[in-house]
Amino acid sequence: MNEEASRSLSRRTLLGKLVQGLGVTVALGPVTQPLQAEDRSVSKKEADRLIVRVARPLDAETPVQEFASYLTPNSSFFVRSHFGPPPSEAVSEANWKLRVSGLVEGSHEFTLKDLRQMEAVIITAVVQCSGNGRAFHRPKVPGVQWERGAVGNAQWTGVRLRDVLAKAGVQAGARHVQFQGADRPVVASVPMFVRSIPLGKAIHSDTILAYEMNGRPLPLLHGAPLRVITPGWMADSCIKWLTDITVQPDEAKGFYMQTAYRIPTKPIEPGASASGQTMIPVESMVVKSLIVAPTDGDSVKVGPTMIQGVAWSGEARVVKVEVSMDEGKTWEPARLVGEDQPYAWRQWQFIWKEKTAGTFTILCRATDAHREVQPATSPWNPSGFLWNGWDRVTVTVTT
Amino acid sequence: MTGSRRSIMLSLIIGLVGFAAITAAQEDDLATVSTALAPRAEALIIARCAVCHSQDLIVQQRLPRERWIATVEKMTHWGAEISNGEADLLMRYLSARYHPGAPDQLPPPDSELRKAEPLTQKPGADGPLTGVATRGAGIFEHNCQACHGAGAVGGMGPKLVKSPILKHEESFRETIVHGRGAMPAWGPVLSRQDIADIYAWLLVR
Repeated sequence: MNEEASRSLSRRTLLGKLVQGLGVTVALGPVTQPLQAEDRSVSKKEADRLIVRVARPLDAETPVQEFASYLTPNSSFFVRSHFGPPPSEAVSEANWKLRVSGLVEGSHEFTLKDLRQMEAVIITAVVQCSGNGRAFHRPKVPGVQWERGAVGNAQWTGVRLRDVLAKAGVQAGARHVQFQGADRPVVASVPMFVRSIPLGKAIHSDTILAYEMNGRPLPLLHGAPLRVITPGWMADSCIKWLTDITVQPDEAKGFYMQTAYRIPTKPIEPGASASGQTMIPVESMVVKSLIVAPTDGDSVKVGPTMIQGVAWSGEARVVKVEVSMDEGKTWEPARLVGEDQPYAWRQWQFIWKEKTAGTFTILCRATDAHREVQPATSPWNPSGFLWNGWDRVTVTVTT
Repeated sequence: MTGSRRSIMLSLIIGLVGFAAITAAQEDDLATVSTALAPRAEALIIARCAVCHSQDLIVQQRLPRERWIATVEKMTHWGAEISNGEADLLMRYLSARYHPGAPDQLPPPDSELRKAEPLTQKPGADGPLTGVATRGAGIFEHNCQACHGAGAVGGMGPKLVKSPILKHEESFRETIVHGRGAMPAWGPVLSRQDIADIYAWLLVR
């Protein structure tokens, strides 16, 4: 099969998956026009579909019921950046270029056309904000108070970062690959959002520079025209509006690499200062699951109720999801269903047969192939990263 | 008790009880402080913080005093135009209103806010004011430029040079006072004279 044919086939499968997932969503509750046309700005409708945490620059999370769809539609995918998107002219195909410099053989520039002519790679991967679930840390920590929906699962199409680096010719001494996007702070005294990943992750065959999201050109809010996707890693590495790649011996300098997006290597007392602690960058995701249906506050009838959700981990597959109806004293296994792809999330189902009316709290937890089990609560850290405590939904059962 | 003594006492109280146990009486004290400071503090938040981010980012935080201090210091270091006195006021207000024991939903800061004293000048009489373009340039740079761009040629906010809104001074003034769309209301921050000065400056651009 030639590449074009395989791409078009994969688009059809993708549409199938979206529609298949949406069938479930529609059955669960009203969702308006999830497959609306691509919008390159923040439409009113789009903002309505998301839970806006910060209006400007826009930070908004996805309502969990949207995760009944295996792929999270572009229009309801969570939105996060430090400065908001650059002006669309700055990232238009005519004006945009990707520059690769530093420890490479001369500096190189790529247009979007250049990249599209390279071998295309398609990867379905969870992208999750490092601060997803920050609101659940106690004591509370500063930052956007994300709850459950700063995460999504999408199909990303792009080129391998290592193919781009190979064209540029990486020189000896290279250890880190730095990224910078076209987004800029409102005032110039605010540090730019510059980050780096170790060379090992950069040249991993699954690390890509994506120009499509769910088969459509990357929307402006999600990093048009090109963003980094580091499957299995938190989204602080998934730089949007990418314009500059610098190959270098050291980690990126500046606030967003040297200070922010770091966690202590040793557990610290909740609420304590992290000064004097060794802090390392947030990289791999941790094992986590969510209950997608029923939703918190729902009423269900006595008798069988389908509990469903999603589960994912970093670089290991999810092997088990369990449900507890007694605050975690006993757990029963859920059934893993649907697609099973590395880096993507796994859907799960559990038939709950409640015989009595009352109020019940459903908990879920996942286990990955590295035997990491989702904990009741996550280790506290001063910036509230990597929350993966048991997910919790309270419902009323009526006769 | 003097204002500064009171604030020292409060910081002690907040420091001692930490995040967990704030009694009802202490809660009342904090509420009194935050109500008293609200008009000026909320105006400052619009003028100095909302340049880069909407106020909802602040409103959702529940932090102990030391973390509010660190936050205000970080923002000042990053270029927020906050004087020492303003920083002190903000730290006192934020740690009294958005402390770890505060409820998730807080009542609006102060319904009297719209009547607050402007930060810069006394409000003028109701009659038409004559703007001074040279003064308007500085007021624009300090308050408007971050969104509307240097020289008012546009940025995150729209271009204002030769904008149709300049044909109607009254709607220009109304927009600034009450806000519009993403733009916050500047009524509590800019006086009528300030607005007239900005208008005069924009007309000669």
